[in-house]
Amino acid sequence: MIELHNLTKTFGPFTAVDDVSLSIPAGEFFGFLGPNGAGKTTTIKMMTGLFTPTAGSIRINGFDVVKEPLKAKATFGYIPDHPYLYDKLTGREFIYSMGGLYGMRKETLKENVQRVIDLLELESWVDKKTEDYSQGMRQRVTFAAAFVHEPKTVIIDEPMVGLDPRSARIVKDTLKRMSQNGVSIFMSTHILEMVEELCDRVGIINKGRMVFLDTRENLHRHKAKYDGKLESVFLELTKEADE
Amino acid sequence: MSALLHILRSKLRMFLAMPSSPDTGTVVRSAGSFVVFGSFAVGAFFFSNFITAYLLETVGIGLFLFHRFIGMLLFVFFVTVNLGNMVVAFTTLYRSPEVSFLLTAPVSYLNIFIIKFLDNFFYSSGTLFMVGLSVLLGYGVYFGYPWHFYLLMMFGVMVPFMFLAACIAVIVLLFLMTLAPRVNFRVLVGGIVLFYIGQIYLYFTVTSPVRLVQEVMKFYPYVNLYFGSLDPVIAKFLPNYWVSEILYFYVNDNFEAVGGYVALMLLTTAGLFVLLLAAANGLYYRTWLASLSLKRLTVKRFEAKDMVFAFGRRSWFAPVTEVLLKKEFWQFVREPAQWIHFVVMMGLLTVFLSSVSTLSIRLESPELKAVVYLVVFIFNIFLINAVALRFGFPVMSLEGKAYWSVRSAPVRLSSVYRTKFLVTAAFLVLLSVAVAFLSNIPYLFVRSVTDLATGRMETVTPHDDVRALAWMTIALTPVVTFALVSLNVALGAVYADFAEKNPVRIASSQGATMTFLLSIVYIVLLLALYYYPTLMVFNAELKQVPADWRVIRFAAASIAVPSLLLAAGVHIAGLRSLRRDLA
Repeated sequence: MIELHNLTKTFGPFTAVDDVSLSIPAGEFFGFLGPNGAGKTTTIKMMTGLFTPTAGSIRINGFDVVKEPLKAKATFGYIPDHPYLYDKLTGREFIYSMGGLYGMRKETLKENVQRVIDLLELESWVDKKTEDYSQGMRQRVTFAAAFVHEPKTVIIDEPMVGLDPRSARIVKDTLKRMSQNGVSIFMSTHILEMVEELCDRVGIINKGRMVFLDTRENLHRHKAKYDGKLESVFLELTKEADE
Repeated sequence: MSALLHILRSKLRMFLAMPSSPDTGTVVRSAGSFVVFGSFAVGAFFFSNFITAYLLETVGIGLFLFHRFIGMLLFVFFVTVNLGNMVVAFTTLYRSPEVSFLLTAPVSYLNIFIIKFLDNFFYSSGTLFMVGLSVLLGYGVYFGYPWHFYLLMMFGVMVPFMFLAACIAVIVLLFLMTLAPRVNFRVLVGGIVLFYIGQIYLYFTVTSPVRLVQEVMKFYPYVNLYFGSLDPVIAKFLPNYWVSEILYFYVNDNFEAVGGYVALMLLTTAGLFVLLLAAANGLYYRTWLASLSLKRLTVKRFEAKDMVFAFGRRSWFAPVTEVLLKKEFWQFVREPAQWIHFVVMMGLLTVFLSSVSTLSIRLESPELKAVVYLVVFIFNIFLINAVALRFGFPVMSLEGKAYWSVRSAPVRLSSVYRTKFLVTAAFLVLLSVAVAFLSNIPYLFVRSVTDLATGRMETVTPHDDVRALAWMTIALTPVVTFALVSLNVALGAVYADFAEKNPVRIASSQGATMTFLLSIVYIVLLLALYYYPTLMVFNAELKQVPADWRVIRFAAASIAVPSLLLAAGVHIAGLRSLRRDLA
C-alpha cells in the first residue's frame, strides 16, 4: 500500500513535484504517466529514499519513508530504469546478495532465488557474470532481485527499457500475477498501451501536478470524448508542456 | 551488522572474481600489471635499502637526522594519503551509483557509509601501501631486523597511520559537504586548498630542515646523538613524528618508547574512527542529499557566452580541431572533480617552487650537493608526472559513451587522439620548463647562502659547470615531460574505461596505477643516468677544475633519445589499442 500526502519537491525556485496526493491500496496496479520532466522520476526517487520531500509525506505499507526508512524499504522492491548491478557477480549471486540485504534466511532465500529465476526464465544465462549481460538481461535480473524478498509493493521506473517482446511478455505476466496476489504496483512508463493493458488505475502528472487520476474504466470513458485513443487523452492533458 | 557483513562478503567475492571470458589482451594486461607491480616493489626495496646505506655510511648524516628526514617524508606521505582519500572519497561517497542502489534497500546509512569508506580506503591507499611496505623492507633489511619488526610496523604502525589519514580526510569532507549548501562552494574549496597549502608551508617552516641540519652538524662528527630538544613542540603531536620516533627508538633498542608510540598511534586511530562514525551517522545521508544539488552550484559561472571558448565564436583553428579543443575545455571546467583537483595541485606546486627557488644552504660535500640537486630535480619530475597521471591518463576514457558522436563523424580517430594529447602535453611542457627554471635559480644566479658550519650568510657565484648543468636540466625537463605525458595519455588509451565518468576514479584505476609504476621505473632510470654527471660537476666545483662535458652530453643524449623513442612507442600502442576497442 502506498500513500502520498501533499507531496512536494522543490529545487531552488523550481517545483518538480507540486502537492501530489495519492493512495494505492494492496493489489492495485497503478500506472504513472507524464511527459519528460513532468516529475515522475522525482516522485519515485522520493518514494525510494533517493530524495527527501520538501513538504508532505510518503507512507509505504504503513511506514513513513522519511521517518522509518529501513522498515519502509524492507517492504518494497524497486526497479530503476537504468539498474545498477555488481558487474563481477553472476546474476544468481546478485539475486542472492539482494535477498541478503533484505535480511532473508538462507533456506527461504535459496528457494526464492530459484523461484524468481524460473518465474522470469533466467536459468540459461543467470550463472554468467552480469558484466556480459545485454540491457534486457540486466533489466530481467533486476526484476528478479526486486521480487526475491516477496515485497508487498513494487515500484518500477520504465520497466520495458531494453526488453525484447518475449521478455516484455514475461515481465508483464509476472507483474499482473503479483498484483492479483495482493502486491501493489506503482509503475511509471511512457508506453501507453501497457498502461491500458495492465493498470487498474492511472495517474497523469504534468509540470509536477497530478492532472488526471482515475480508474482504467473511467479512462476508457474519457477516451471516448476524443478519438478513442489514450494517446489523444495524454496529449490533450499534457498539451501545455509540449507547447 | 549482518547487512554490513553480507555486503562486505559480496564485495570480497567480486574482488576475487576472475574475468568471465579472459581474452589474450586481458591476460597480457594482467600479466603485465603483475610484472610491473612486482618489479616496482623489488625496485622500491633496493632503492630504499641503497638510500639508507648511502645516507648513513657515505654521506654520514647520523641516525637522528636520518629519522627526522624520514619523518618529513612521512608527513608528505600522510598528506598524500589524506588528500588522495579526500578527493576519491567525494566520488565514492557521493557520486557512486552503488550508493543510490543501496539507499533503496533496507541498509542503514551508517552501514552504507562504512562500506563506501572502506572501499575508498583500499582503493586510494592500496598502491601507497605497497610502496610503503617495499620501502620499509629495504630499510629493515639494512638494519637486519627480525620478522616481527615488519609485523609490528605493518599492523601497529603503517595501517593505522594510513587509516588515520583516511579518517581525517573523510571527516573534513563530511564537514565540507555539510557547509557546502550554506556557503559559496568556490569559497569553501578555496578555503580548503589554502588550508592544506598553509599546513604544508607551516610544517616545513616550523620543522625547518635547514635549521635542523645546521644545528645537528654543529656537533659533527657526533651526529648519532638524540637531538630531541631540537624538535618543535607542535611536531610532536603529528603522527609522522610518532612513526619516525618508533623507527629511531627501535634502532636504539628502546622498546619502551616504541611501545608507547605504537599505543599512541593505535589509540588515536581508533578514536578518530569512532569520531568519524559518529559524524557519519548524523551527516552522511544529509550531505548525500545535499550533494545532489551541488553540481548546479558549481557550473553556473562557467556559462559565459562571450568567452573565447564559446562554441559560437570563430577561431583560426580548423573546424574539427576547434570543436575538439572547445569540447575539451568545457568538459574540464564544468567538472568540479577536474578543476578543484587542478587548483589543489597547482597550489602545492607553487608552495614547492617558492621553497626551492629560494633554497639557500651551503653544503661542502659534493655527494650531498648531488643528492640535494637530484632530489629537487626528481621531485619536479614527480610533480609533473602526478599532474600528467591525474589529467592526462583519463583524457581518452573521459570521451566515454559519447564516443559514438566522434566515431560516427568524418573524423579520424588519430586526430581526436592527437588533439587530446597535444592539449595536455603543451600545458605540461610549459609548466615543466617553468618548474625547472624556478627550481634551478639557486644554481644559475649569484645568491646569498647560509654556511652550515658557521651559520653565516655568504654571497656565492655559481661555478660555470654548475650553471651549465642547471641549463642542461632545464633543457632536458621538457623532453622528459613529453615522454611522461605520452606514457600517461597512451596507457590511458590502452586501459581506457569508457563506462567510468569520473576522472578521479579513472586516474586511480589499476591501469593508472600501472602507468604510475612504469613512470617511476622510468624516473629511477633517469636518476641513475643523471647521478654520475651531477656528482662529477659538483666534484669539479669543489676542486675548481672543469668537468668532462663529454660525459654530461652522453648522459643527456642517453636520456633524451630513449625518452622520445618511448613516447613514439607508447603512442603507437595507445592508438592501436583504441582502434581495437572501438572497432
